[in-house]
Amino acid sequence: MDLELSEDELELRDNVRRVLNAACPPSLVRSVFEGKDTGDALWERMAELYWPALGLPERFGGLGGTFVDVTIVVEELGRAVAPGPYLATVTQFVPAVCELGSETADHAERFLAPVAAGETTGTLAIAEDGRWDPAAVRAVARPAGDGWVLEGAKCSMLDADTADEAVVVARAPGTSGTAGLGAFVVSGDRLRVSARSVIDPTLRICDVALDGIDVPADRVLAEPGAPGTVDALHRVLDQATVAVAAATLGACRRIFEMTVDYAKTREQFGRPIGSFQAVKHRIADLYSIVERSTALLYFAALTVAEDDARRHEAASLAKAAAGDCQRLVVEDGLQLHGGIGMTWEYDLHLLLKRAKACEALFGSAASHRAAVAKSLHLLEDGTS
Amino acid sequence: MRLTFDDTVEAFRFEFRAWLAEHRPTAEEMAADPAISSAHLPDWARRWTRRMFDDGWLVPGWPPERGGRNAAAVETLVYLEELERARVPRTTNPQGLGIVAPSILDFGSEEQIARFAMPILRGEKAACLGMSEPGAGSDLASLSTRAVVDGDHFVVNGQKVWTSGANQADVCFLFCRTDPHAPKHKGISVLLVDMDTAGVTVRPLPHITKPEQTDLNVVFFTDAAVPAANLLGELNNGWALAGASLAHERGMVWVGTVMELESAFERLAGEAREVLPGMPAFEQARAVDDVVRCYIDVQAAKCLGYRSFAKLARGGSAPEQALMKAFCSESSRRLHLVGSELQGDRGLDVWEARRGEQAWIEQYFNSFGGTISAGTSEIQRNIIAERVLGLPRG
Repeated sequence: MDLELSEDELELRDNVRRVLNAACPPSLVRSVFEGKDTGDALWERMAELYWPALGLPERFGGLGGTFVDVTIVVEELGRAVAPGPYLATVTQFVPAVCELGSETADHAERFLAPVAAGETTGTLAIAEDGRWDPAAVRAVARPAGDGWVLEGAKCSMLDADTADEAVVVARAPGTSGTAGLGAFVVSGDRLRVSARSVIDPTLRICDVALDGIDVPADRVLAEPGAPGTVDALHRVLDQATVAVAAATLGACRRIFEMTVDYAKTREQFGRPIGSFQAVKHRIADLYSIVERSTALLYFAALTVAEDDARRHEAASLAKAAAGDCQRLVVEDGLQLHGGIGMTWEYDLHLLLKRAKACEALFGSAASHRAAVAKSLHLLEDGTS
Repeated sequence: MRLTFDDTVEAFRFEFRAWLAEHRPTAEEMAADPAISSAHLPDWARRWTRRMFDDGWLVPGWPPERGGRNAAAVETLVYLEELERARVPRTTNPQGLGIVAPSILDFGSEEQIARFAMPILRGEKAACLGMSEPGAGSDLASLSTRAVVDGDHFVVNGQKVWTSGANQADVCFLFCRTDPHAPKHKGISVLLVDMDTAGVTVRPLPHITKPEQTDLNVVFFTDAAVPAANLLGELNNGWALAGASLAHERGMVWVGTVMELESAFERLAGEAREVLPGMPAFEQARAVDDVVRCYIDVQAAKCLGYRSFAKLARGGSAPEQALMKAFCSESSRRLHLVGSELQGDRGLDVWEARRGEQAWIEQYFNSFGGTISAGTSEIQRNIIAERVLGLPRG
């Protein structure tokens, strides 16, 4: 049992941080916030460095890294408030193809090798009505000839307006709950996208209409009702959820560090405000919640990497903890910065907004606590 | 990162587990004669400590002559896990084993080691810690119990309070002022005081929920004569001993605490499964959320503990260990509050007999022992802010 990053993992983190300090400074994030830059150059840089290939198996051109490695990168991207398609491509599209795709159809070869090469981006369309729950999917897949036709609406999709490919989850007509679910790869330009204008514009959050999209048989990852589909969807969600928690905590840790620095340097009444106990105790609490949430985050990442039976619960614990963490860190981080934190010019708000946006994606803290309640069988008689 | 220990560590675990199964005191034995203070050594506890000492399981990281087997840090970690899992106390005199004996071994003379440290390790003597005073709690260095040299002994006058186990201890590890003119941290010494010394009197302070079980005491020293040979370490250098403990186990103090939290949560979840179905929807949703939050706290403490241990085991530092005391004790307090609230007005009933343990509301009051003693949560936050995060002293 070793829940601390290894030497190699720490080195990866330091390297990623070094690259992002140069390639994704706050000035770039600010340009994206203000609509003056798309951040495309950053993605090109990541592709040059093989970051999209990191967690992919070597046989598809990947580097064979673990999910812990991917989590490390995503945490750093959160810390830098990095724009771009990494999160959706690597932590949503890739797991979806890996978990749902079939070996015989060579889905992995076809869809993942171009990702590893940095040539295509992807995303995942699963949420509807604000719920990232397979059972809540209402979008329908109707058989048509050799293929299928998709109809319905998806919400809160990352990068739907820019991704080359999207995995869309839909169900057979007349099914409900966990029955009849299937998954399809749809070319991004087939989606009718309404890009939303959200508080963190570096995350491209979109709502999507599926207006009778026809999907040929070779783009069906899992036919509706195929055995194992629900399990696979949960495994995809575990990974995407842990990744969003990592992005949240990356932003939170940076807010915490900025708040500590500010408390040491900002003077009032002739001394640094960090010398006042009212400030000190709040900062000690921020440290505590950031460290605790990080410990749960990497435990979850490790359960995914080792395919441990606790992975589903661990993912919910990590997301719930990250949610509580951002709540406290955003609130006290902004409060303790005082007036300067209220300005557009100061970088703090970039991080605050990333932390808030991540809380709302892939299930709120409250929804993940509800999932944990279920795994603890709190509302059953305990025999189940 | 990995989820498992090496095979050699697991082999160590199974060796200890097997030994434990054979030699542990039985639950019935312990229940028939429970330790009623933190310096009470019931007969079973004396035999148990002696057995662990003789077989090298008392402090595995120490050499055999001190009750160990030169175990590696990670082996000590799984040892502590196994003890908790078996619900066997390592000792009924935790401050004796954890603080007093190790400090004497580190700073004491051969004679002091033979007279005090070894008997504590063999379960023959129990020790208490004379630290807090009426005027020196969180501000411990302001203590004013005086010890004045008079020929070949010290004359001690003063008063200690909240002294756990003083009513049953054989020896007191006493912090006292030996130089009233020095700056407050500099004029303190440690004396090893036999509790039967003339002039030492103990007044027990009945406990908030268990008045028949007294752990906290007031200790009065009235012209108590303590041999000069009982001075531990150097004169006026006692403050350096205030933070001493089982140094090589310092990174693992959390193991017992976290595993106790885990078993407390199991009880809470059991309670919840019983009462939740009968609750109106809104109260039920709130109660479920409260319970799950407790679970997250426990799991977070556990992950943080293992993570910090891994850092230490690699020879690094683990500043987040400073968080464990306040967070675990506050988690325990929240958990017991949730337990008592789950029961509504029935939670007011003090029904010791029902499950052989105290009511949630009583355990809630007891849990403040964790957030108040050994450095309050407020002091812990100051320590974190100043020593870990480098914020300026106020």
